[in-house]
Amino acid sequence: MSTSDSIRDFITGEILHGTLKDPLHDQDSLIESGIIDSMGVMTLLAFLEDKFSIQIPGDELLPENFESISTITTLVDRHLVR
Amino acid sequence: MNFAFTEEQKEIRKTIIDFARRDLNPGIVERDRLGVFPRELWKKCAEMRIFAIPFPESLGGDGFDFVTAVAAFHALGYACKDSGLVHSMATQIICGIQLQLFGNKEQVSQILPDLVSGKLIYAQAITEPGSGSDAFAMQTFASKTDGGYILNGTKTMISNGPVADRALVFAVTDRAKKTLGGISCFLVSKGDAGFSAGKPMEKMGLRTLTNGELSFSDCYIPESSIVGREGQGAILFGEAMEWERTLIPACLLGELERVLEECVQYAKDRKAFGQPIGDFQAISHKIAMMKVNAELGRLALYNAAYLKSQRKRAALETSTAKLFISESLKQACMDAVQIRGGYGYMVEYEVERDLRDSIASTIYSGTSEMQANIIARIAGL
Repeated sequence: MSTSDSIRDFITGEILHGTLKDPLHDQDSLIESGIIDSMGVMTLLAFLEDKFSIQIPGDELLPENFESISTITTLVDRHLVR
Repeated sequence: MNFAFTEEQKEIRKTIIDFARRDLNPGIVERDRLGVFPRELWKKCAEMRIFAIPFPESLGGDGFDFVTAVAAFHALGYACKDSGLVHSMATQIICGIQLQLFGNKEQVSQILPDLVSGKLIYAQAITEPGSGSDAFAMQTFASKTDGGYILNGTKTMISNGPVADRALVFAVTDRAKKTLGGISCFLVSKGDAGFSAGKPMEKMGLRTLTNGELSFSDCYIPESSIVGREGQGAILFGEAMEWERTLIPACLLGELERVLEECVQYAKDRKAFGQPIGDFQAISHKIAMMKVNAELGRLALYNAAYLKSQRKRAALETSTAKLFISESLKQACMDAVQIRGGYGYMVEYEVERDLRDSIASTIYSGTSEMQANIIARIAGL
């Protein structure tokens, strides 16, 4: 499973608990739409760091990095290649 | 997982316990009655390097890991009967961790050492008159201006607020954005034009901890005093809460263990109907539950501490520790009063003070209800 699909599965399953009716696309806004809030970010971070064995430092914990599946994937991939 | 203390941790705990009993406990009944912040004792704690424990040596700290810091505050909560002072010190450490994790180079290298030494007192300002549990409904606003921000608003019930030299202040920076991206954190110093601290508010418990209003009226904050990046406040807050909900429960668990020990001793010494009251199950079962809760609380606490020490996310584990230990302490203090009967109700015997102090623990740093909300959400609701 690709990084973006893993993230999508987590968001739709564990954060939204399967309540989303439409598919969640890579560019869909997660913050503006209210899919991810402050608590959701912490839950998502725990998943990302555990699933991909990475550690995201404070200066990268920026809202814009969590704006969409695409930006989250970029953040994760950046750490995977380090 | 083995949560046994290392020899070094045991030595640190013994030093802190001896120090607290010798230097921090005398006069607590009077200090509690007067409700004054014990600045001289703060200085003694600074000399004992309590604030230095979790920070790197390069910043003037002692470079211990977070589990050791938790073990140290666990000992402090156990031995120090001045729970207000203990809470005040824990607040200082939490502010330091936020600065260390999110501060810019100057904030970390130039400003943090005065926190680590205890020379300056820090506060964290989130709560407002109209927003408590819904912290992000805050109204304090920082508008962008040339080279910085203009801060306006009022914070209330801020721990250390009336005595703080510096405060980490959370404010809205973009009303159009959601919480994520719309809130930022600023470092404000006493003496900054437009910044004023109110008098200590009189409280039921934790009376040596000062809580009060911080007001900002066209208070200019240079861009260099933002902590983290603009819009990062909510994430910073979420991260800070995980550390806070580990360090503060450490103090509470220590207090629970002290209450338990004192109850066991009292139940052995106090006789009624011709025998020690501990022989009656009405008493012994209350004490048994204190023991069960202390044991389970210890596992929850050090599980959370271990995860944070490994820089792992631990929203579930820290909320669990905070909820369980604070509620256990409150119940233990209620039972401690009941076990002593009339004596428990008398100020002289110092049990009622523990009860008054314990009630706050289920309110600050996120109420028990908010912890349950977090846990329920992670559980899938």
